[in-house]
Amino acid sequence: MTEPIIQVENLTAGYNERKILQNISLDIYPNEIVVILGTSGCGKTTLLKHLIGLLTSKEGKVKLFGKDINNLYDKELIQIKKRIGVLFQNGALLNSITIAENIAIPLKRHYNLSQAVMDRIVHLKLSLVGLDHVYNFFPNELSGGMRKRAALARAISLDPQLFFVDEPGAGLDPVTAEALDKLLLSLKNQLGMTLVVVTHEVASIKRIADKICYLSKGNILFYDTLDKALKSDIPEINNFFNSAGR
Amino acid sequence: MKLETLKLPEVVHIENSSEIYKQASKLLRKRKPDSLKIDFFDVKKIDSIGVTLIKQIQQDAQKYKVKTTLVNLLEEVDNAFKLFGQVPPADVKKKRRRNFFEVIGEATYNAWVTISNFTILISDVFYWTLMSFFKKKLRREGEVIRQSVFIGVNALPIIALVSFLIGFILALQSSTQLRQFGANIFVADLVAIAMVTEMGPLITAIMVAGRSGSAITAEIATMTVTEEIDALYSMGIDPVPYLFVPKLIAIVITLPMLTTLANVIGIIGGAVIGVISLDLKWVTFFNEVIEVLRYKEILISLVKSFTFAVLIGILAIHFGKNVKGGSEGVGKSTTSSVVATIFFVIVADSILGLFFYF
Repeated sequence: MTEPIIQVENLTAGYNERKILQNISLDIYPNEIVVILGTSGCGKTTLLKHLIGLLTSKEGKVKLFGKDINNLYDKELIQIKKRIGVLFQNGALLNSITIAENIAIPLKRHYNLSQAVMDRIVHLKLSLVGLDHVYNFFPNELSGGMRKRAALARAISLDPQLFFVDEPGAGLDPVTAEALDKLLLSLKNQLGMTLVVVTHEVASIKRIADKICYLSKGNILFYDTLDKALKSDIPEINNFFNSAGR
Repeated sequence: MKLETLKLPEVVHIENSSEIYKQASKLLRKRKPDSLKIDFFDVKKIDSIGVTLIKQIQQDAQKYKVKTTLVNLLEEVDNAFKLFGQVPPADVKKKRRRNFFEVIGEATYNAWVTISNFTILISDVFYWTLMSFFKKKLRREGEVIRQSVFIGVNALPIIALVSFLIGFILALQSSTQLRQFGANIFVADLVAIAMVTEMGPLITAIMVAGRSGSAITAEIATMTVTEEIDALYSMGIDPVPYLFVPKLIAIVITLPMLTTLANVIGIIGGAVIGVISLDLKWVTFFNEVIEVLRYKEILISLVKSFTFAVLIGILAIHFGKNVKGGSEGVGKSTTSSVVATIFFVIVADSILGLFFYF
């Protein structure tokens, strides 16, 4: 049995007195796409932020690649951050520099590559998301959907082994959203990536998910394969998948 | 025919890409082969950056007129080339440098646009300010009060402290000179005239420009960038009466008040020096102050502070409204707003000073 790439052990977290996540434990194995689901306010984003290490909690542990990310020295943490990619909901591109410079940030910061190779990588990443014509554009010159795809190009610039995606389809048309899903699948297959995706789009979930993690009121209500989720007789999950079809 | 082989390691990825590239470049430059064989025999895994690297090596080889062949590719490696290798080489167009006339033309055009925007804004703001006195619906309840508290009341301590120090310093510096002529009492005249006609309005305006003008610009600029202003327009609400006018009214009300306070406290600061170092009595000092100040000085003070208030308000709104770009733009507009406001306040001060001199 392979080791899980993400291990969450008894994580309890919240803001001030309000508890958002209660005693959550979760193992995610390599080369899986796990979709985190749940109604608004159930703690999806909070969980994602704990997995990335943006938020920390005193109760419980989060381990990435077998290492507890809350107890690491900066150097070790950077080594881990180089192996993960994050696509934020609104893209989070830096507005003051061009798209190409945005994508080159992690390449320049962490590696000593020649300019020619770097240009080529940036070009490749942009063409993977279908945006190679916006090389010299600034983020505010792009539409919302294009910004999202450019942000995806930046998130995969280092070919991360672990990729966190917050709402990939939000703000995209169905055709682009489907193309994006295909890209995520091919990245998973080709690079052996593990993806943790937060999304509500049922069509997208059915296309990409290997496993479903359903959060409800700060607890994991269901964590198993997509097939089992679709056949589940838990009313809440049943409702979720069926309400989208109506 | 000279043949060289570049043997690749088990994994070709970003961690070792720099090394492989150096090795290949060295091979091409120093050995000058006719043909380069890139051997994938050991390669079990290659990522997108590895593929990019091989493509770049192939392109470099073309420059040296070296033929490249890829051999012993596993199916997985071949798939990676299919997915990541189809991109044509990067053809990055650098932005063209503009010539002298284009630069001049653009600057002139931009200046024209700024001036016309500014003029429209002034007319808009004055129109709606006037209208808001007549139409109750245009007013946001309590907004002027809220803004006045922020711009005026919250600024009281810092303005009191600064003006006290200014009055204190004015008296201190002049006392050494005036004492030589036995003209101790004239320190009161000097401090009173200087504070009321010049330092009071100017220092208060600069403080308020830095403190509240910048806040107004930053707030409006952020609202513009995050499309909040567009949202107001789309709901049929004009942001000028809704957002801008209350701020302008608040600043016009509070700045003369703050200035008056600054004048009084500045004079008290001067009096402290008069009493401590010039052996004057409090009563004597203030009698002299009241005697020397005429209606004209007080009027000058109020006219100046009113003018500065309008300037600070309008410029802050103008720079906030015309922000370009995202979060960085907000920072730039705020900086420009403060610099421009202080500059125009000093220019206006000089013009008014000249006007009242004659």
